[in-house]
Amino acid sequence: MGNIFERMVTEPIQRFLERVLLFLPNLFSAIVIFIIGLFAAWIAKYLLGKFFRFLKVDELSEKTGISSIIAKSGLRESLSSLIARFVGWVIIVAFAIIALSAMNIFTIERLVERFFLYLPNVFVAIVIVILGSMLANFLGRAALIAAVNAGLRVSGLVGKAVKLSIFIFALSIALEQMGIGKDTVIIAFTVIFGGVVSALALAFGLGGRDIAREYLEKKIKGGEKEDEISHL
Amino acid sequence: MDSSTLSEDIRERIQDIRTADILVGIPSYNNARTIGHVVKAVQAGFAKYFPNKKCVLVNSDGGSGDGTMEVVRNTTLRDARTIFLAHKAEPFVTITTPYRGIPGKGSAFRTIFEIASALGVRACAVVDSDLRSITPEWIELLIKPVLDDGLDYVAPLYHRHKYDGTITNSIVYPMTRALYGKRIRQPIGGDFGFSGRLAEFYLTKDVWETDVARYGIDIWMTTTAIANNFKVCQSFLGAKIHDPKDPGSDLSAMLYQVVGATFGLMETYADVWMNAGGSEDVPTFGFEYAVGLEPIAVNIERMIDKFKLGVNELGEIWKEVLPAEVLEFLDTAEKLPAEKFSMPDEVWAEVVYSFAVASHGRRVNKEHLLRSLTPLYIGRTASFVLEMWDSDATEVEEKIERTCLTFEDKKRFLIDGWGGIKN
Repeated sequence: MGNIFERMVTEPIQRFLERVLLFLPNLFSAIVIFIIGLFAAWIAKYLLGKFFRFLKVDELSEKTGISSIIAKSGLRESLSSLIARFVGWVIIVAFAIIALSAMNIFTIERLVERFFLYLPNVFVAIVIVILGSMLANFLGRAALIAAVNAGLRVSGLVGKAVKLSIFIFALSIALEQMGIGKDTVIIAFTVIFGGVVSALALAFGLGGRDIAREYLEKKIKGGEKEDEISHL
Repeated sequence: MDSSTLSEDIRERIQDIRTADILVGIPSYNNARTIGHVVKAVQAGFAKYFPNKKCVLVNSDGGSGDGTMEVVRNTTLRDARTIFLAHKAEPFVTITTPYRGIPGKGSAFRTIFEIASALGVRACAVVDSDLRSITPEWIELLIKPVLDDGLDYVAPLYHRHKYDGTITNSIVYPMTRALYGKRIRQPIGGDFGFSGRLAEFYLTKDVWETDVARYGIDIWMTTTAIANNFKVCQSFLGAKIHDPKDPGSDLSAMLYQVVGATFGLMETYADVWMNAGGSEDVPTFGFEYAVGLEPIAVNIERMIDKFKLGVNELGEIWKEVLPAEVLEFLDTAEKLPAEKFSMPDEVWAEVVYSFAVASHGRRVNKEHLLRSLTPLYIGRTASFVLEMWDSDATEVEEKIERTCLTFEDKKRFLIDGWGGIKN
């Protein structure tokens, strides 16, 4: 009877305790690694903040218009503090992953490995979205100014359409980079873009027949009086 | 290091010619239709006014495909059967050469300056290749102040239609005058005379890989001469009529180039213009006479429409550039009917100065900034046309004079704004 109890209860508990005892140092080292990571992140944030202030990164971002892009995206922090914060989080995540690896659990190790393989895609996607947003703002504004100077009544719409198209394009590339709905995104983009162009063609063809005719008549027959001012 | 852009052929040619007294340069690019007349006028000018001087005509071409250089080579006064040739004691020489470097009028001028320097000429002039109204007298009027009066820079003075040259009248002239204190009426006229000494000085400047080589050479030459204390003057040349420009030529691109070059020079010569106050006349040569000018068509309604469109759509950009009072004025002006539309000198001066300050502070991308000036400039031009509708040439000049005085009065506004930006 005592032998049975020993085999069914005591031995499993002993084995469990042995495993816990074996695991405890790993857990302890994982916690220590994570705490070190938190400290490292805090120090890196502090030092980077000082370094960026020394390099006058915020003044540069004001001049290049990056600050206004950040403000327009709803963030209220400066570029230097955003970068410092981002680096801090990267350090925390990296140390968390190292800490998880230190626990020597097979499932977690596999997850960590997959996460590490996926991480560059996330980073590239973020960069694509940031650059795409900057390019969209720049070209949207350029299109708006060009449309106003050409005297187009729909200038605002032209500017917004250019901006939105470029941003959606950048977003679709970013999502494709991350492997999210790879074909769906491309098809959706193609359908939306093709739809917009077809809609515009139809709208102009049906609704704007008279305008189109008038415009062509003016161009061919010279209906509207042109300025002859020599500006220079 | 040899930094010359001249080809081996041209250097050999220069060695053959050795020295010259006068050089006239004609930059060109696909001007076969008009350059023959300009070349004849220059040659007649040499023959009539400088018969005892060794004269050189240089055509600096940007790779024309329409035979411009052949026209220059084949044009002689003999074809014109003029009587001037009989008086010419010294033969004149014609050099045609494609220029090297960045495509643009500035690079063409660089080649002309280099040839002038290599020949050690005393006086030079440059004239546009699309001029229809050039006469031999232009050569005399651009060269003689240098040869006889020891002046270094001769700017042109033309009679133009009251609505012509609006960028000059409303931006470049008032600004150049207010900034540097010299009343040079046509700072970007395109036809200039200058001393050999000044040509050599121009060559020492490291600008030939910048936008000066592409465009903006005219304002650069004028500003460089004034800011470096060369003796400047102007000569009355009569009417300026040139080949009609391509109707598709973009106004905003023109503004970007001319205003951008003017603002760029403000960076170079900040110390000079900040310390200059008021303005003074410069010596003026030539006999002023009235010129009959053909009427030109103006579409005021369309101009005001473009201004209003700008106010409605570009407010976000202008908010970063213009003071609140100016923005408020623009909002009010946008609601005015066409016949009551007006943009006073004070507002216009503040607009131009605010754009200069914004360009200095790099608050907005420079190209966006300068191109967004177009609707405001069109609004100002519409206001000017409305105000001057029934005015004659004298009244128009008085109006431009008042604008210039406003720019001078408002210079403090510019200096304060400029100084407020820390680089």
